Order: sequence, then structure tokens, then C-alpha cells
Amino acid sequence: MTTTYAPAPARQTRAASPHRAARGRAGRRRTLIWIAEHAIAVGLACAFIGPIVFIFLTSVMTDGQSLTTSLWPHHWQWSNYRTVFSTAPVGTWLLNTVIYAVAATATTLLSSVPIAYALARFRFKGRNTAFLCVITMMMLPPQVLVIPMYLMWARLHLTGTIWPLVLPSLFGDAFSVFLLRQFLLTVPEDYLNAARIDGCGELRVLTRVVLPMMRPALVAVGLFAFFNAWNDYYGPLIYTGETPAHWTLALGLATFKTSHAVQWNLTMAATLIAMAPVIIVFFFAQKAFIEGVTLTGVKG
Amino acid sequence: MATHQIVQLPLVTAPLKARMRRNRLRVLLFLAPGLVGFTVFLIYPLVMTVWLSFTNSNMISQAQFVGLRNYRYLLDGDPLIWHAVRNTAWLVVIMVPAQVLFALGVAMVTARLKAGASLFRTLFYLPALAPPVAATVAFVCMFNPNSGPVNRILGLLGIHGPLWFNSPDWSKPALTLLALWGSGTMMVIFLAALLEVPAELYEAAELDGAGPWHRFRYVTLPTISPVVLFATVTGVIAGLQYFTQAMVASQVANGNIQPAPGYPDGSTLTFPQQLYIAGFNQFHAGYACALAVVLFVVAMAFTVVLLRRASGFDIEESPR
Amino acid sequence: MSDSRTARRTVAASLFAVTALLAAACTTGGAASKADTGADDTTPVTITFWHGLSSPHEIASVDAVLAKFHKKYPYITVKAVAAQTDDKVNQAIRGGTAPDVASSFNAANVGGWCSSGAFQDLTPDIKADHVDLSQIPKAVQSYTAFDGKRCTMPWLADTFGLYYNKKLFAKAGITSPPKTMSELAADAKKLTTFNADGSIKTAGFMPYLGAYEMLTEHLVPSWGGKWLTSDGQSNVGGDPAFAQALTWQKNLVDWFGAKKLVTFKAGMGDEFSAQNAFETGKLAMMVDGEWRNAFIKNDKADIEYGTAAVPAADGKSQLYGAGYVGGNVIGMPRGAKHPGAAWKLIKFLTTDTGALTTLADAIGNVPTTTAALDSPSLGLSKDPNFAPFLEVYKNPLTTTTPASGDGGAYLTNFGHFVEKWQSGGVPDLTAGLTAVDKQNNAALKLGQ
Repeated sequence: MTTTYAPAPARQTRAASPHRAARGRAGRRRTLIWIAEHAIAVGLACAFIGPIVFIFLTSVMTDGQSLTTSLWPHHWQWSNYRTVFSTAPVGTWLLNTVIYAVAATATTLLSSVPIAYALARFRFKGRNTAFLCVITMMMLPPQVLVIPMYLMWARLHLTGTIWPLVLPSLFGDAFSVFLLRQFLLTVPEDYLNAARIDGCGELRVLTRVVLPMMRPALVAVGLFAFFNAWNDYYGPLIYTGETPAHWTLALGLATFKTSHAVQWNLTMAATLIAMAPVIIVFFFAQKAFIEGVTLTGVKG
Repeated sequence: MATHQIVQLPLVTAPLKARMRRNRLRVLLFLAPGLVGFTVFLIYPLVMTVWLSFTNSNMISQAQFVGLRNYRYLLDGDPLIWHAVRNTAWLVVIMVPAQVLFALGVAMVTARLKAGASLFRTLFYLPALAPPVAATVAFVCMFNPNSGPVNRILGLLGIHGPLWFNSPDWSKPALTLLALWGSGTMMVIFLAALLEVPAELYEAAELDGAGPWHRFRYVTLPTISPVVLFATVTGVIAGLQYFTQAMVASQVANGNIQPAPGYPDGSTLTFPQQLYIAGFNQFHAGYACALAVVLFVVAMAFTVVLLRRASGFDIEESPR
Repeated sequence: MSDSRTARRTVAASLFAVTALLAAACTTGGAASKADTGADDTTPVTITFWHGLSSPHEIASVDAVLAKFHKKYPYITVKAVAAQTDDKVNQAIRGGTAPDVASSFNAANVGGWCSSGAFQDLTPDIKADHVDLSQIPKAVQSYTAFDGKRCTMPWLADTFGLYYNKKLFAKAGITSPPKTMSELAADAKKLTTFNADGSIKTAGFMPYLGAYEMLTEHLVPSWGGKWLTSDGQSNVGGDPAFAQALTWQKNLVDWFGAKKLVTFKAGMGDEFSAQNAFETGKLAMMVDGEWRNAFIKNDKADIEYGTAAVPAADGKSQLYGAGYVGGNVIGMPRGAKHPGAAWKLIKFLTTDTGALTTLADAIGNVPTTTAALDSPSLGLSKDPNFAPFLEVYKNPLTTTTPASGDGGAYLTNFGHFVEKWQSGGVPDLTAGLTAVDKQNNAALKLGQ
């Protein structure tokens, strides 16, 4: 076969690809394969995007129609989006989710950078042990610790609020530390040394030299922290479940259909409200995001 | 290259001891929040979990030591725990590998695309961002055997669709489809790894007359295997924690205001869910801690595998 | 069996220990009931009250009764929070953020609340204020207290009966509601219609457990089943009523086909919405609580319907007219900040005839005291569709799901069992039920 597995992506090296010469030999076949590959991709894209389209279409149906198998709204009932907000305190949930996500992102970034910097850049005894601890925390299912943690927050009279969700990230978030360290390992030491020779202390080196360089990593970590908080269900379930005023979207949406006795149309409208901000943010920060994801899986 | 390292190399001008002390102080200063976090949010609760697992704690009254009673109930008594263990094992053994294979397949297709590769990558990745609760609610609606589009489309193809989230046999496969839909993160990671495989290797293999399978087996796979292993182990750890989707799916599919954990027929009851129910719905926090200890041991075993085998962590790498 | 006797003794001992601990704990929690009950203390105070009612008409009715309370005790302001579930109440108690007064639909949790101390024993207040408990029927008293501790009071009750669609009955040529279970099954078959593809169009009856209020709890009283033995042990294997009820139910499920029923169930509108399958005429008969009358009215559902007692098992005609009673319970969670005012609210809501009849009429529930039941101001007693539910409440053979120390785990375990049963996963019913007994008793021990 003349096909190749060389994953030469169109955007980089096609012109330079040595396979170009081979194209003449089996052009027809290549065209067919091209079509087949793109047909598969289009099919996959439909499968990936289809559910979102379905959510949208259902969200503008009438009560009665959303209980039937029809896919296209007979009557576009846009008022569903208004009804959702009056049926349940969706506005409050949205606000709480934003507060939680923003606070968690800020605290995570603030606390994780120095830790990651120390782990990546300082040489000290126990450094590997410290890093192992970070990995342990990263891999530990949160359920393992939930009972004593709950008791601890209850003793501090902070259950029923979002503090137990936000305060821990003031002390470094394991995943963010891990990611930032991976990135920091790639920063050439020479840059830092140049600054040190200029008489900068480590803190100055970090803030003046390293931080500007790691902007993409910070954006990625920030986005991860934001989405993690936005999508979190377990944390709010445990800690804010008893105070509806502090519910987040994830929590409200989970019981939305039964506790407000609504049909699929309103449920899907609420679902889309929970998804939309994430999708919008993603489109604005797509590049940083994909780079960040790549960083998690491939060694820095 | 690194002749001016002030941090690492003691300079002659300053007394060695003072320098080392300053260095240590600095390390401590930078790590302080992490150390506090580690102690308060890991060591302390971990010790407490183990202790509480030997008590009858109900999180209300004072806990009393009851010896191994909770562990005995775990092994012989709790009617649902084996359901939970089996379900979680199913997720780890079937759902996670399915996710890895699917993500790898999609990544390989995307890597070969000549036109619109980055658009397709974005579209494939997008669902991974959907909040799990929202995605689950939407999937239960889509797979509703009565009004959902999935069975309708299957019906057009002449297939009598199953009951999906309402059937004990199909609820976990339905959750697996949900996981596949959201496997974009893995896909992006694999794609990046695939693009890093040097093209010369393929050329060399092709010259040797290797077919596509051989090229995949002897060129692609060895290069990307650390990434696949890393993704698999983190996937397994995520599988052990699987909670949100199972809980939400059972609740929404059952459609009753009373929670029905594991609906239908305990088929979606996962281990962490059983832990939650024991600790927070019933008054058996001590027993929940015994379950937590078991979960801890299993999760750590997988983490050790990861640290042993994956090079992705670069533990030994030192600053240049 | 000496085994269970020692077990019981351990229960008693540990309960005593827990009580002792709680007595200490409660004082620290600022919940020394008598301390600020001083009848003369009229310092303005605001208390929080959580209830589970969620429909707009129900919330408004509760608020109206609370306004009456405020009129009687102007210095007590009640902040009501609607749509609360037991899980949330439990969580708040653990977190120390509990409301002053909480109510629940789920009397099965009372045992766990009383024995764990999550809810405070109201006996001292009841004694101090000389509240007469004999005005509450015995069955109702039994689901609101556990092991000698009255940690909740009944606040309106729910009884269950059969709703039937008169138009569909006429169409099928049925003249009166069924009185026995075999009549019910026969009518259900007559009333059912299918679509061309074989799926159910209109279900005569929905025998699949877990659909709306179709629960074993609401069914077994027709066979006279008792959930627990007199000493609190699980009884579902020991009492043949359970096997008989489940066999009847499974036969009807098999007639429809379990898969068809599950598909139909998945397409039923939400139970508490106007899309309820009975209210839209897709379900011809159902077992439901008395509240449905009010929902049908509020949803302006376009159906002609009638109500009757749930049919009795064949050969147990003496049970016709009896049924299941359960209900809202109300109590003072541990950590209540204003126990004095909280008790006043509980007493008002559960014993004041005016408060009971007003709310009962407004949300269509059964009032819980004999005085309120007999009160001429109770409008419900004049509604023919409501009358069967009042009769069930007064019937001495009416039963309930008793409080147990395992926090209702016996019902959860049984629920899992019947899910397996009705989908055909239980080859030997008797052995299966005996196994459930064993599980329930094990769960009971863990709670100690």
C-alpha cells in the first residue's frame, strides 16, 4: 500500500513532505482514501455535536412535545428560557457557580505557582519525596477523605457555604502544581541565571522572569481550575447541599427535573445554560487549552 | 553552560553554612502553603479515616471504638457492596479501555486528515468540556426509550433499541457511550503524541516493506506507549472515583423524587456512591470510612504502577 | 433465639449510651429545650422552618398557616424554606446548620433520627405543655416515635387509594371500581390499549413498582403485610403477604411484558406536573395519595375521575377499606437555635385544629388529630373523592411502614430486591425474601 501513517498535519509540513513525490503514483487511490478519511471525520463530528444540537432543539419544545419522539420543534417556544429562571433559582445557581469558579481559579493560581517553582527549580533534600506527595494527592480519590474533612469543616461551622470548596486551593492544588512543574522544567536555566546575576532574589526571578514566560501554562492551569470548579458536583453536593441559597448549577441541575416537576424541554434548557459558558470560554481560549491538555499527557 | 548557578552551587565568597540555611529557608517559604495543605488536607484526614473506620461514628454523636465490625459488615452483611464492587470493576475493566481505544482511534483519524484537521480536533474535543451533570442529564433524555431520538433512529434502521438507562443490562454501556462522547481530553493528548512520532521512522519502516499494521505496531505504538499508559492509569483512577454520572443518571432515569441509587436494579451503584450513601444518607459514617480505606488501598496500588512504569513524571529529572 | 436477645440487649445498651452522650451534646448545642421556653419570654425571634412541599399552591398554603401563627405569637417570625429533602436535613444537622424546625415526608427516617439524636426528644415539652397525644391514632403515633423517644410529631397524613378514570371505565364497559386484586388485574387488562408497534398506548394500570406511587409499601396493606416483627426484626420473608403481593404484581407485569412497561414508564410525564400520565388520560387507574385530588384541581386536568379504597387481596375482603398511612412528620433537629419558639411552632402546626383543617383543606391532606377530623370546618370531608381517604385513615386495620433504627434501610434493601424481582432476576421468591430479612437485620445491627 502506498498510504502512509506519517501524521504530517496539513498545517505544518505538507509542502516539505517527502511523500509528495509518491502522490503521482497512486493519485486516484489517495483521493479515495482522502474522501474516506474525511467521511469518517464528518461522521464522528456529527456524533460529537449531535447531542448538543438535540439539547438545543428539545429546549425550545412545548411540554407535551418534549414527551414525544419528534425531533423538530413544532412551535419554537423561546419563553422556556425565561420559564427556567422563574421555575427554579437558576440565576442564583449561576451566580454561585461563577463565584466558586472564579475564587477557586484565583486561589489555585496564587498558591500553586510558588510550590511548582520550588519543586522544579530548587535543589533540596526530599524534593522527590515532595513531588511524590503531589502525585499522591493528585491520584487520591476525594471520597477517601470526605468523612473527616466534612467533620472538620462542620467543626469550623463552614458547612453549608462554599468556603470548604475554595479554602483548600489556597494551599496548592496538586494537579495544578504538577502541570506547572512540568512546564517549568522546560524553561532554560540560563534565563533565570541571568536574572540572578543581576541580583534578583528568587521571588523576583519568579515574578519578573518566570511568570511572563509561563503565561500559556498559567492560562491553561487557570482554565482547568475554572472548569473543574464549574463542573464540580461532588464538592457542592457534600458541602452546600443543605443550603439551597449556595447551590451551584451542577447541584441544581442534577435534581432539576424531579424536584421542580418539569418535562424534558425545561430540563434541556437548564442543561444548555450550564453548558453554554464553558463552550464560550473554550472558543476564546482554545489554543491555550489544547496546549494545556497536551502538557498533561506528554512529558514536559 | 550552568556555571553561574547561584542556587545550586555554593559560592566561595559566602560561608557555606549560612548559604545552605538560607537556601533551606527559601525552600520552606515557597513550599509552606503546600506543606500546610498536605498536612491538613491529606495526612490528618487520612489518619482520621483509618481511625473512624474502627468506630461507629454517625457524624452526630461521639464515635465509639467497635473493632473490626465495619469490615465484617463489608465482607458479609452489606447486601449492596458486591453490586458496587462489580459495577466499579466493570467500569475500570470495560469502560476505561473502551475510552482509551476510542480516543486513540479518533486521534489516528484526526492525525491523518489533510483538510480541516484543527476544526475537527476542536469539534471532537468540545464535548469533553460539558459539565458531567449536564451531559448525563442530556444523555438520559436522548436515550429515553420512549421519547428519545436514539431509539427512534435505531427504529428507522429496523433495530428495536434497548431500554438503556432503564435496563440493568444496558445502563453501564449507556454510561460508556457517555464517557466516549467526553473522551476528547484523551484524544487531544494522543493526537499530540502521534504528531511527535518522527516521520523518518515511518519512511524507514516503509522502505523495509512494513504494512500499516506493522508500522503501527513497531513504530507508532512504541513511541506513544508512555502516553497511552499514563492516560490509562489516570483513566483507571477516574474510573475508581466514578460517581457523578452514575448518581445523576440513576436519579434522572428513575424519574422519582425519592433518590434511587443504582437504578435500575443496582446496576449503576458504584463503590464511591455506596460510600456516600452510607456516610451521608444513612448514619453509618464509620462504615463509610471502612469503604474509604479500601478505596485508598486500591487507588494507591494503581498509582504505584503508574510511577513504576510511566516516564511521564520525570521524577529524577533535575534542573539543568 | 438467644442470639437475637443478646443483640437486643446490646441495642438497648448502646441506645442508652447514645442517649447519655446526646444529653451532654445537646446542652452544648444550645438546645437545652426548657431553658428558654419561658412562656413569658416574648423577645422577638426569627426561626427557620424547612418543609418538603414544593408546588406553588402548597407553598402558599403553608405560608398562610404560618401567617396565622405569627398573628398568635407576634414576636416569633418564621422563615420558611420549601422543597427540602431529608438528605439536606441530615446534612444540615451534621454540619450544625440545622433549621429550628424541619419536616419530612418520609416517616421511615424517624427511627434513625430518634436513635441517632439527629432530632430532639419532644417528650419534655409535651409533658410541660400537657399535650394530649390520645387525639392521634395509634398507627400514626407509631411512625412518629421510636423506641420510646418522641422525636417527631405527625403533621398531616397521607393515605393511599385507587384513582380511576371514569371515561375510560365507561369506554371499557366497567361500571364500578375493582374491590379485589383479581378484579383489578382483569380491569387493567380490559383498559389497556396498544400502539401498532406493540408498545403501550394507554395503560389500564401500571404494575411496575417504582412508577409514581406504585410502591410495595402502598400495596402490601391489601394483603395485610407487616414489615417488622414486634421486636423490630425484618419480617418480609416471615410474612406470606409479601410473597403473595409480589406474585400478583409479577403476574400482571408479565401480562404486559416488563420491557414494555419500562418503556411506557420512561415516557410518563413528571409525577407532580400537569403531564402526569393519569391526568393526561394515559393511565386509567393508579394507586396514589390523597393529595392527587388537589393536584388534579390545580392542574385543571381534563379528566373525569373517581376514587376508592385500594382493592383487597382475594379472600381478604375484611381488609377492604383499610390501606397505607404515612405522612409528614415534623420535629426539632439537633442544633436548633431557638428551641422554645420552635416547639411553639411544632405544637401549633400539629395540634391546633384551625391550623390543621386550614392546611389540610388547602393542600388536600388528611388532618392528623381526631378533633380536626371531626371539625365541621374541614371542607374535605364533603368532597366525595376525598372521603375514601379519610375512611382509610380512620380504619383500624390501616397500617404503615414502622420506624426502625436503621434509618429505613429495610425499605431500601427491599426496593432493590423488587427491582430484581420484577425484571425476572429472582428465581426463588421465598429464598430471596428470606435473604432480604437477613440483610435487613444486619443493617439494623450496624446502626448501633
